[in-house]
Amino acid sequence: MSGNLRRGTRLRGETLRFRFDGRDYTGQVGDTAASALLANGVRAMGRSVKYRRLRGVLAAGPEEPNALFTVGTDPCVIPNVYAPQLELTDGLVARSQNRWPSLRYDVASLLQAGGGFFGAGFYYKTFIWPSWHAWEAPIRALAGLGTAPRDANLAPVPHEHSSCDVLVAGGGAAGLAAALAAARGGARVVLVEREPVCGGELEFESGAIDGQAPLEWVRATLAELDRLGARILTATTLVAGNGGEYVAHFEPGGLPGCSTMYKIRPKQIVLALGAVERPIAFVNNDLPGVMLIGAAERFLARYGVRIGKTLVLFANHDRAYAAATRLVAAGMRVRAVVDTRPADAVGAAAASRRAALVAGGTECLAEHAVLAARGGREVRGATIAPLATPSATRNFGCDALLVSGGWGPSVHAGTQEGGTKRYDASLGAFVATEQPAGRANAGGANGILELGAVLADGTAAGRNAARVAGRGSDASAAPTGAGDPAPRLVPFWRSPADRAGEKRQFIDYQNDTTVADLRATLEEGFIDVEHVKRYTALGFGTDQGRIGGLLGAAILAELRGEPLAEVGTSRLRPPYHSVAMRSIAGLRVDENLRITRRTPLYDWHLAHGGVLEPMDLWMRPRYYTQNGPAAYEAGIVEARRVREVGGIVDGSTLGKIEVAGPDAAAFLDTLYLTKASTIKVGRSKYMVNLREDGMVLDDGIVLRLAEDRFLATTSSGHGAHMLSHFEHYRDTEWSGRGVTVTDVTEAWAVIVVAGPTSRTALNAVLGASWAESIDALTHMAFARGLHGGQDLAVLRASFSGELAFELHCRPAIAVGLWESLVAAGLQPYGLEALDILRVEKGYLVSSELNGQTTPADLGMDVMIKLGNPCIGRDLLDRPAFREATRPRLIGVRAVDGRGRFYGGAQLTAADAPNRPCGYVTSSVYSPALGEWVGLALVSRLHAEGAVLTARDPLRIGDCAVRLTSIVHYDASGGRMKS
Amino acid sequence: MNRLTCPFCGPRELREFEFHKTLPEPGSSPYARVYERVARLDESTEHWQHVLGCRAWLRVRRNPSTDAVLETTLLGGGAT
Ligand SMILES: [Zn+2]
Repeated sequence: MSGNLRRGTRLRGETLRFRFDGRDYTGQVGDTAASALLANGVRAMGRSVKYRRLRGVLAAGPEEPNALFTVGTDPCVIPNVYAPQLELTDGLVARSQNRWPSLRYDVASLLQAGGGFFGAGFYYKTFIWPSWHAWEAPIRALAGLGTAPRDANLAPVPHEHSSCDVLVAGGGAAGLAAALAAARGGARVVLVEREPVCGGELEFESGAIDGQAPLEWVRATLAELDRLGARILTATTLVAGNGGEYVAHFEPGGLPGCSTMYKIRPKQIVLALGAVERPIAFVNNDLPGVMLIGAAERFLARYGVRIGKTLVLFANHDRAYAAATRLVAAGMRVRAVVDTRPADAVGAAAASRRAALVAGGTECLAEHAVLAARGGREVRGATIAPLATPSATRNFGCDALLVSGGWGPSVHAGTQEGGTKRYDASLGAFVATEQPAGRANAGGANGILELGAVLADGTAAGRNAARVAGRGSDASAAPTGAGDPAPRLVPFWRSPADRAGEKRQFIDYQNDTTVADLRATLEEGFIDVEHVKRYTALGFGTDQGRIGGLLGAAILAELRGEPLAEVGTSRLRPPYHSVAMRSIAGLRVDENLRITRRTPLYDWHLAHGGVLEPMDLWMRPRYYTQNGPAAYEAGIVEARRVREVGGIVDGSTLGKIEVAGPDAAAFLDTLYLTKASTIKVGRSKYMVNLREDGMVLDDGIVLRLAEDRFLATTSSGHGAHMLSHFEHYRDTEWSGRGVTVTDVTEAWAVIVVAGPTSRTALNAVLGASWAESIDALTHMAFARGLHGGQDLAVLRASFSGELAFELHCRPAIAVGLWESLVAAGLQPYGLEALDILRVEKGYLVSSELNGQTTPADLGMDVMIKLGNPCIGRDLLDRPAFREATRPRLIGVRAVDGRGRFYGGAQLTAADAPNRPCGYVTSSVYSPALGEWVGLALVSRLHAEGAVLTARDPLRIGDCAVRLTSIVHYDASGGRMKS
Repeated sequence: MNRLTCPFCGPRELREFEFHKTLPEPGSSPYARVYERVARLDESTEHWQHVLGCRAWLRVRRNPSTDAVLETTLLGGGAT
């Protein structure tokens, strides 16, 4: 079959070359990968995930479960692209998935040939010894759909936000009628259609609308919608809805690349998403060459693909005869139409078509079923038998077996915001009933499948939506038409089969769920449809159960002996169709993922070797490159220099909250474990906040600027949260009282000056006017004044154990002040050195404030004893906090003074080597002591002096450690007081 | 995306707001306030902050089953 001779509504004639699984093919502009391959006679397009069975195309839309391709060449590949939606482009390179080394010869498929199928629950029950983890790697290597790309190299996806009066989802007969009625009524209309062109089933259905051929009516309608200002978005799928906003994903060509996410907020939405055709379960119903009848019709009408030379059709409704008539007219031989219903169930229109088919040589069998597809790598025939006597089989030769078990209305609807559905026995499906305000279904989603009724339903929905949206009502005549007859469907779910055959009656192709799996699942005691879904993975695939969900529920109902209406179907969830993570991320990727906060010294750090790292939204220097090749080496140099000479560090990232007003002191008393009201003006205090549950929330220094004014500092990572915390109490418990809370974080830069020469350097930089007040500063006291005409406060406080000062200055003078301090002989140090200095002194770093430690755990017993009734104070008396094994902060050092241990290492005692009694929270190599020192949270049963083992099997192995005082260096604190 | 209506800023997308907590029953003990909060299906009273907006704290009554916002009121009245 040469692609160039084909005629289809979407083909444009021009030849394209493409490559699939290493072989070159040609197709036409307008083809999809699936249609072009079918036209080239390629049937097998992938293997199934679990049993690795060869699979071909089953459907012609996004419900396709089998033909998912990986597109591109390594490393820029995109997995799981739907072949029926992947538009052919010149030079396209695609490959099949779930096979190794090739589609034809797959090693893992031999597994099924050897030992039979792994049934439902096989993994749960088989790989539990010695543990699942031992099996996980080899199983995962074989599992999963496709392989994630290393580098997809995709452009960021814009998100467009808009609003309209009426959003119509679906551009088939119902959707177009609804959009037309709404637009004629004056509504601002947006219509989204997942296909590149509108029309839906009108692409192939026989009939007429307003005296025109269906596709001519589609063209005329689109032209009128355009004149009325409606916006038509094709290749755009409604994927989710939430809170009145609907998300539609534009993915031209069926491939991520130049996508757009439309976020549309309509006053009314009309969901006209049609109905999805479903298969019937029979043995080997997954063989390449088995296809849904509607899919075969779409491939024929759109792309001129004749799906086979000799066909067998298998169905339970009248539409099969209309389809067979069209397939015959297109030059295919229909060997048989196998109908499960009695002959007299067929309506008049279908009966006359049936008579014509019989006259043309087609065998039309009533009350028969296809028991099995025959063939090795693709369909070679069908085994057929009367339902009354399934043993009386006949074999028909055919090269395509088309099946249709009816249609499931798309109640999935791209939105999961409630709405109800009911079982309709005449359709053998669930149809939408009550919907939330602002939303209506139309056409197929309401179970309406006849063209005339679909147009009327769509028109009514569109008129109503325009009216409710506050627009006018359309008075012009609604489109009228007639097409294929009513299906007159009699539900039929699976053909007779013995137990061995049930293992090959596939329900969910993507998860290889079979009738045998459902039976086994019931025997295991999983009865509810949601449990069955999770045990068999039925409905877990990218098709979200659109092919197999209802079929599985119906067979489950049969096996349970209960009505399908009561068994129900599993809950449907967004997204309606797979969406690339890139599209969800939108423009918020890379450096645009979050905002970056910069201190006034940010540029200086970058220009002077600072290696910055994120802390919350801030960027702070970890170390400076002139001090070493990496953080570890540089940190040691910088920390040693602080203790020997001195240094400066940028502390501007500290959160700073000014609290003022007559009730400021009392307000802060409730927010901190100790009282702020006892702080004298001009002095400060180290304080901690508790959460409501008594755990330590944050720590910082609180300065009393005036009788009624305080400056509370928070740790850098918690600044934003602490501001909200303060504002919350201001607006709740303290509402109406005299207290204001103001964020002044960015109003002040902070330069910490630490080390033995810090006072000398400071005096040199600030000059004689400051000398007296700086010399007079005692520990935790501060002085305020001007420097360079700008506000400056100097606080004597230390987190390094050295004599140290915090300069709170206006950002305008921060760089000048910093550079003067450098000129005075103080080198900058980064967070690495800061952590070393803190751990040497036993000050909390950050991993100790992990939301699981109480003040008592952190050695703050003195603060608790003061008994200030603050937030979280009540719950400190919980018995759980006084258990003997409760961890508390303690120091840790290697027994031999040489070993190393890292933060995160688990600590075990000799008598319980497999049960940790604590873990290392922070550890550093101390240049001052020449050995590794750390902080740890360890059960109170182990006291100072105890010897434990720090276990770190994945990094550096074990190290014998001794518990020590948390203060490793200068225990008397003499250096700080100098 | 859902929206909340800030008394100062009008209807704004949920991403501008930060959930703080579901309010406990009035008169609960300190222990119950923290550990015995009841998640009701029909109605939930919560504190939210318009953290990426005017920073007002709000009391939001909503129906968690339907996501419907029943009432949004200002807490405190802000700083004076
Ligand atoms: Zn606001």
